[in-house]
This record gives sequence, structure tokens and C-alpha cells, in this order.
Amino acid sequence: MDQKFEGTPKATLTLAGRKVTRSEVENHWGSRLQWKVSRDGKEIATVGAGLEPTFEHTDGAAGKYEVVLQIFKYVNYAKDKDGKFTESKYVDASTPVTYTI
Amino acid sequence: MLKIGNVRVPLCDGVSRRSFLEAGAASTLGLSLPLLNRLQAAGAVDESKAKIKNCITIFLVGSPGHLDTWDMKPDAPENIRGKFKPIKTNVPGIQICEHFPRMAKMMDKVALIRSLHHKTGASHENGQRWMMSGHDYSEANKQPYMGSVLSRVFGPKGALPSSIILPVKIGNTGTSTPHGQESAFLGSGHEPFFLGGDPALSTFKVANLEPPAGQTEFRVDARRRLLKDIDDVQRRVESGSTLERDTAYARAFNLLTNPETKQAFDLNKEPDKLRDRYGRNTLGQSCLMARRLVERGSRFVTINHFDTVFGISCWDMHADGGSLNNTYADYEHLLMPQFDMAFTALMEDLEQRGLLKDTVVAVLSEFGRTPGINGRGGRDHYPSAWTNFLAGGNIRGGQVIGSTDKLGAAPHDNPIEPPRIVASIYHAMGIDLETTMMPGPGGRPVRFIDADPIRELS
Repeated sequence: MDQKFEGTPKATLTLAGRKVTRSEVENHWGSRLQWKVSRDGKEIATVGAGLEPTFEHTDGAAGKYEVVLQIFKYVNYAKDKDGKFTESKYVDASTPVTYTI
Repeated sequence: MLKIGNVRVPLCDGVSRRSFLEAGAASTLGLSLPLLNRLQAAGAVDESKAKIKNCITIFLVGSPGHLDTWDMKPDAPENIRGKFKPIKTNVPGIQICEHFPRMAKMMDKVALIRSLHHKTGASHENGQRWMMSGHDYSEANKQPYMGSVLSRVFGPKGALPSSIILPVKIGNTGTSTPHGQESAFLGSGHEPFFLGGDPALSTFKVANLEPPAGQTEFRVDARRRLLKDIDDVQRRVESGSTLERDTAYARAFNLLTNPETKQAFDLNKEPDKLRDRYGRNTLGQSCLMARRLVERGSRFVTINHFDTVFGISCWDMHADGGSLNNTYADYEHLLMPQFDMAFTALMEDLEQRGLLKDTVVAVLSEFGRTPGINGRGGRDHYPSAWTNFLAGGNIRGGQVIGSTDKLGAAPHDNPIEPPRIVASIYHAMGIDLETTMMPGPGGRPVRFIDADPIRELS
């Protein structure tokens, strides 16, 4: 019996300066959470969200930053030759917040 | 001296003919009833002395690698220590994998057993039989599952079955041999109740509680009365095996028609926040259901974390590129986070409801995984050493029992075999393993388990 996931996990982000705080995740699938950080539209980092609800990216280079909480969505266990998932992937679990340096 | 019910028999030298016959007759005549009354009369099971009332086992089918989870060797060579890092826990000196951050905060409640091993083969089914029954055995010599033994000894506390397995039976895990989750010679009246569905799905219904299509509850009830009339006649003329089937029928009808039992399985009664805390997945929602079931009278609930090892993301990390292609990616992104949430939510929830002091949570698996990482980046079956753990109830947490050598290849001290875990659970439930036997095949008296409880656990 493979696992099927229903509903949409959802958290709310609040921004204070560069510090992002997330709410509890509603409809949490229980899979891994991560922060995805983009600068000027390009992904520059993904960081495990861990247990701490707050996150502050260390990069101080100038640009427009976007931070979003993501959750791993398991579809099936298909993987490429390097053992990486091909269909299961991280999906957004919040609306992004932005700030500019 | 041993006791079979209230019959005293000699130890070790076999059972006297008189005792054997008396015990056999007693077991046949009492087949549909729990042993408890007779054992209590003999002083062999004293529920007032029991340290726990319930047990929830989370059975990690496929089996996680001990070196990647609860027995990490950060100083071993790279091809042994693996990809993950250890983290500190709330118990100084005990470290576990970085992907169990919630569990690390409650290590003071957990007793890790790092020196488990068995010697009868490296198939999943060998390990399933060991961990679920305390025996390895063949099809011709089946031994009963722990839940069936406890059902036989104690009987039900209420309308729910004593022994329930969530969410489904173990299916294909490689060989066509028993999985250790059957009542064997204890009879069909003590088969565990299998939920038969995924409680995480919105369409979930308990398959075994739904009347067959087209039958109303009125018709089910009418059939029950008819069956009772027929059985009353049969009972006067037939043997104990009929009585045993009666028990199974009665249990099925009770489950079909009792609103209380239906509610026990209804997770919609739980707050959304709590369901989220367990994780909206098969394991998380099964753990939540296990709490509901022990709260309402089930004594022994097993959650099979996966029913197969083929073609799904599970603990069986061979990385073979085919149907057994689980890798570190499955562990990191899916399995470990799910386990960490579900296990810790269960512990917290049991504690908040005052159930943890009476309930042992046992996290068990079939074996460990090879210390050396294979050529494809996975680890294969390894029954020579692994880690399982117990928490709650009478368990003294914050300790590590036994250890493995520097490479995690073999027990280094205090080697422990699976029957001792089973013995520990029976003992904690109040069964005196030194002086008590139960009716075996054909009523022949057999010991519950040939092993001593692990004294350090409590």
C-alpha cells in the first residue's frame, strides 16, 4: 500500500527585517520542510526548516530576496540513476515573503 | 514448579501425564474464554501487579539501518558511517540521527537497545516472526503473535478487540513464509483484528466494520440472531473448535453493530491540529488511531509501517535501481520526518491523556542493515546487529542497553535476542513467565516464551 497524500499543507509567513517566522503547518503531510531562498528570481539556497519556526538567510549580497516554505510531496518512489526522485519533489507550503538588500 | 492454570507441573523434566491431561482438558473446555480467570486463580497473572496495561508497537517493515538512525558511528570510515550526522539529545552522551530532532528532545523517555541480533536468516520474514512472536518458526510449526497471546490471556476489556493491527496486513516482503502476526494454535478467536484501510485518506472506512453491500444494519442484526439460534443447537453437540468459531463470529457481529467501536475508529472526532501534529500520512494517522484504541480498551495495537518492500518508498534501503530502490533520499525527505513526527506526537498525546504510564510504545524492526554501504549507495539486510527501542509504561528512559563494536557489525556488550523483548512485554503485563504456561497445540502446555525479560528496561 503506497502512501497517498491529500489536501494542501499551508503555513503563514511573517517577515521582520530579514527574519522569517512560520506558523504551524496546517494539513502537515509529515514529510521534510525546507526554506527556499531566491535572489533576483534565481534560487540560491534550500535549507532544512528543522524545528525552529524562524529563519534568517545569511547571504548579505545586494538584491531582491524571496523566501518560501516548502514541503516534500511524495508521488512515488521513482528515481534517476543517482538515486534522486524524479516525480516526488518539494512544493510550496506558503506564500513567499520578499525583502531587498 | 510450573502452573498450567491451577495445575502444578514439574519444571524442565517434562510434564507429568496427569498434569498434561488435566491441562489439555482445561484448555479445550475453556477455549473460547480468556485464560485470565484460571491463571489469576493460580496466582500466575496478577493484573494488580502489572506494570503496564497496554502496548503499542510500531513495526518498521523493511528495517532502517542502525548506522543511519539510532546507533551512529561518526568516527567510522565514510563507507560505513553513511551520509547523516548525529545530533545531541536531551540525555548527555546519547546521540541519534539529525533527522530525528523531535525524538532527540524526548530521549529521557526512551530506552535504546543497541545489541539486538538474531541468527536464523536474513529475510524480512525471519525478523518479522522473531519480533512479533518471539520465535522463528516454519509454516508447520506456527507460533502466536504477541497480541494473540495477550488476547488469550486477558480477553477483551470492552467492545473492541484486544489485539488490533493497523493499517493492513503485511503482504509480500520477499518469501512466502509467515509474518508472525497470526494467532496460530491459539485459534481464530484470537486472531488480531486488521483495520484494512488507510486512515489518512478522506475516503477511509474500516473495511471489516462495513456491512456487505446491500445489507442494512437491521439485516445484519437479524442474521446475528439466526446464527445464535443455530449455534445454540450446535454448541450442545459439538466440540471446542465450534466454540472458538463462535467467539470469532460474535466478535465480528459486535464490531459491525456497536456504535462505540465504530467511533473508536473515527479520526474525524479528533481536532485538526492534533491530526496535523501526528502528520497527515498513513503512519501518523495510524498512531493517532492506536491511541484512540488503547484509550477505549484495546490492549495491544501494532502499526505496520508498510505492508511490502517492493515498489514503494520504505525502510528497505537496497538502492538496487529496480523494485527495491530506496535510498538515503527516501530516508531524509520522507521516512525519517514522518517517523519523527508520528512517534513523538504519540508519546506526547499519551502523556497528556494520562495513558503513557500504562502504555509501552515499542519501536521494532526485522534487522539492521549492513555496516558497509553497497556499490549502489544502499545498505542490505543485516540480522547480526541492530537497534530497537521502548518507551513509556514501566520503561526507564534515557539509557542505552547493549552496544555494538566500532563498525556496528556485531554486539559488543550485552547481546540481546528478540525473545527477550517479547518476554519484557509479557512480564510488564503481569504474566509470571517463570511459573506460567499456556495451552499449546492440541492443548499441550507450552511456555509463553523461552527468554528472560530485559531487567535493565525498568
